[in-house]
Order: sequence, then structure tokens, then C-alpha cells
Amino acid sequence: MAHLKHDTIVSAAADWWVRLREPDAEGKHVEQWLTWVNEDERHLAAFERMNDLAERLGTLDQVSRQSLIKAFAASTAAGRRLGVWWAAAASILVAVLAGGGYVAWMHARPEIATQVYQSGIGQNRDIVLSDGTRVALGAASTLSVRYGKDERDVTLSRGEAFFEVVHDSQHPFAVDAGDVSVRDIGTAFDVRRTDRRVTVAVTQGRVAIADRRANQQGTLEAGAGERVSYDPESSGMSVSSVSPEQVASWRHDRLEFIDEPLNVVVANLNRYTEKPLHIADADLGKLVYTGSIRIDAIDSWITALPDVFPLRVSQQANGVTLSDAQPRVHR
Amino acid sequence: MWQALATGHEGMNTVTLSVHVSDVEALFREHNRALIAFLQCRLHSLSDAQEVAQEAYLRMLTMDHREDIDSLRSYLFRVAGNLAIDKLRKHKVRSDFAAAQSHDEAMDEESPAHHAMAVEHVTGIRHALRELPPKASRAFVMHVIEGRDFASVAQAMKLSERMVRYHVANALAHCRARIDEEEIP
Repeated sequence: MAHLKHDTIVSAAADWWVRLREPDAEGKHVEQWLTWVNEDERHLAAFERMNDLAERLGTLDQVSRQSLIKAFAASTAAGRRLGVWWAAAASILVAVLAGGGYVAWMHARPEIATQVYQSGIGQNRDIVLSDGTRVALGAASTLSVRYGKDERDVTLSRGEAFFEVVHDSQHPFAVDAGDVSVRDIGTAFDVRRTDRRVTVAVTQGRVAIADRRANQQGTLEAGAGERVSYDPESSGMSVSSVSPEQVASWRHDRLEFIDEPLNVVVANLNRYTEKPLHIADADLGKLVYTGSIRIDAIDSWITALPDVFPLRVSQQANGVTLSDAQPRVHR
Repeated sequence: MWQALATGHEGMNTVTLSVHVSDVEALFREHNRALIAFLQCRLHSLSDAQEVAQEAYLRMLTMDHREDIDSLRSYLFRVAGNLAIDKLRKHKVRSDFAAAQSHDEAMDEESPAHHAMAVEHVTGIRHALRELPPKASRAFVMHVIEGRDFASVAQAMKLSERMVRYHVANALAHCRARIDEEEIP
């Protein structure tokens, strides 16, 4: 923990700010505060600086707000539920293995014709599947659909898709994306796959999310307003909150990112631009980005990047390269 | 702006207001900056603070029993405080309504430049918050960014309101000091 030192005026101004925040500070507090204000001309100036910071923070854009709330004030309710789920997962697993039915059923499935849907760079596609399930397929994405006798099986091999599933308990709907499998429990949800990294965002109902790798067993349930991110490097899933607007953003020509590494941001942007971005220095890819990018304004977003990150943008005929900024010389 | 307001009322009721106007003008000269600061603290918005202050002066000009008031300054701050409460109540109604109506709440202000600024700003705050004890940063984010009142933060964190205020004040002082270091190197 850093050593916290500020001068006494700053501390006093912050104390007064907190004391004046609420209506019961009426009367006596205000009088005392005015006395303090009149003691020294620096006092009111310091107080105004508190107001300024608080107002700026109180009016942040939605995405920045969410990311700070997530980082510092994540609801304990979600955390507790997650803990319970991981604990419960073990017992569910025992039950499944004891039954043996799940595994047998997986292998007994007959081969069925697979329908493959693809989209080009910069093109979103709307698809209606044979059962009425609606899929919005993001740009540069590939989805294969195989409806078997017992199960509706969908694989997202790259890109992003939003599903509004027609529920049918006799025929579970499952989306596989890399190491992650998402099982619908009557739902609308979004799955995005960036190489091996997968995020699942739920706007309605619930889904069960499982790690498909043989040695990693466990199921996590996510409900409306929750986003689960799977990161192969940390081999874990993390849960955060997300609004329906954020989930829908890409279908309205805007890509939103919350605390995501720049290489993931770039890979997803590249699904929407003919002039792909390329990260020349690997360390840049790890920089964390939060913000939204309009698909029709990618160029101006790129131009603004050096203001935010220590990097250099160079335009080439066939794309854009991001590289480390020159070491700055301070004088 | 102030002058126009005062004359407007003088025209309406010259005899009784002539005394008032000079008193209220004196209040404005001596205390306006503090009044705005007080209201901005309550309202989280400088423009709302200016608007409410204006309304408070207007109330001062049109009040009837001014002989009953021992301190005009206290009265001004009390009137302004009550108007601020009304304002917050209206805001709440409006934002609840907007939340129920709108699906595009996050759609405004999305130019890359706006975001670049926001991201830079957020990065500074993030660093500052990380240096704090978790309870302090949590209480601060819940109150200042999420907009929850002290009672609701206290309930969520299972702390007394006094402790919540203590944490928020510490976090605010720390963030302010850290950002000042960045902005004034």
C-alpha cells in the first residue's frame, strides 16, 4: 500500500466535501464550513477542486463507469454466487459421471449434415435457423450448425455471433467456441471468439458455460446482464456485468471493449476494416483498453491512439502498424 | 445576468424590494462563490448549481417576512439546500423514466477523441484507487461513480455510515492529490 500523504488543506477540503454531501448537513455544518472557507482563501479553491473531480467522475461515459465499478466495487452478490457455483460444479460432475449417460449419449449421436455460415470483412449477417432461432453473425465470422436428433450443436470457429434461441428442452442448444461450451437455458446471448479467448454475454435468460478441455471440468451459470470471459492464459473464467446495449453495440456498428488487451481489440477491429491493424511490438498487445469504437470512424480512433497509449501509428499501403513510441527525452 | 434579474423584480414591486435588492446584492457579492461550491457538492453539476443559486436569490427577493430572519446568509444557504433537494428528486424521476424508456443510453458522446480523453482520465483514477485500501476505493466508487448515497453504501459494505464517509473522504483526497501531481508536474 502506498504511503498516503496529502497536505492538510486537501484533507480538510475532502472532509468538508463529504460532510456537505447530504441534506442533514443543513444549518450547523454549513455555518461551520463557511467559517472554514473564510479562514484562508486557499480553502474554497481546494473545495472547488474536490467538486471538479467528483463531477468529472460522476459524469463519465457508460463504459468507463462500468469498468471502474467492475474493478473496485463489483457486487459481492455475484462473487458469492460464483463461489457457490464452482463448489456445486464438483458435485454435479460426480453425479454426471456416476450416471454415465452423458458420455454415452455424446458418442451415440449419428452424423448429420453440417451447414456452414460465413461472413466477410465488415459485413454482419442475419440468419434464421430451421427451428426459428435467430443468429446475428458478426463480420469475418464462421459458424457451423449441426442439428442432430437430440441436440442442436453450433460451433463458432472465429468471430462473433448473437443468438436468440427458441427454447426446446428436448433438444438442448449448445455453442462451442474453442475451449468453451455454452449451453442455453432459454436465452439470448452473445459469443465472441478471438483466437482462443472467448467472451459470453447474456442479455436474457441463463446459460451454462463449460470448459471443454478434458482435464478442466466445471460449469458456470451466467444470467442476464452477466459477461463471462475465458482467457486461455489464466485458464480461468471471470464474471463481470454488461448492459444489453453493450452486448448489442456491434450490431449497431460500434465495437465496445471493457478491460481488454489491445491485441484482442485489434483482432476484432480487423474483422471490420479492409486496412488491417498490425501490432509490431508484442508488449503493446498487452495494454488494456476500455472504450467504444465506431466502425465508420476506425481511422480517427487510430489517430487518437497515441494520445492514450505509448505507441506510434504508421500507415502503410496495405494496413496500419502500431509500434512502440520512441523513448521520450525529458528536458 | 444578476443585474437583469434584480431590475426585473424592482419594476414589479419597487417599494418593498428596494431594501431587499441591496441586501441580496451584498449576499451575492460576498457569498456567491461559496454558494455555488456548496450547491455543486450537492448536485454533482456546476450548471445545475448555477441554476439553483439563481433560483435561490430569486426566492430571497420575493420572500415576505424578512424581519423574522436573523441571518440572511444562513437563510440563503437553507433555501438553496432545499432547492437542491427538489432538483435531485426531479433528476431521479427523470433518469428512472429515461432508463425505463431508452435502450440507447450509452450511445451518446462516442467520438474517438471523447473516448481517448475518458480513457486517459480513467487510467489516472484507476492508478490512484489501486493505491488505496480496498474498502476506501470501493466506498468511493460506489458513492461518487455509481451515485449511491452513504446509507446504501454502508448497507452494501456492512459498515457504519461514519466509516463510509471516512473512507470516501480519504479516497477523494488521495485521488485529487494524485491527479494534481499528474496535471501539474
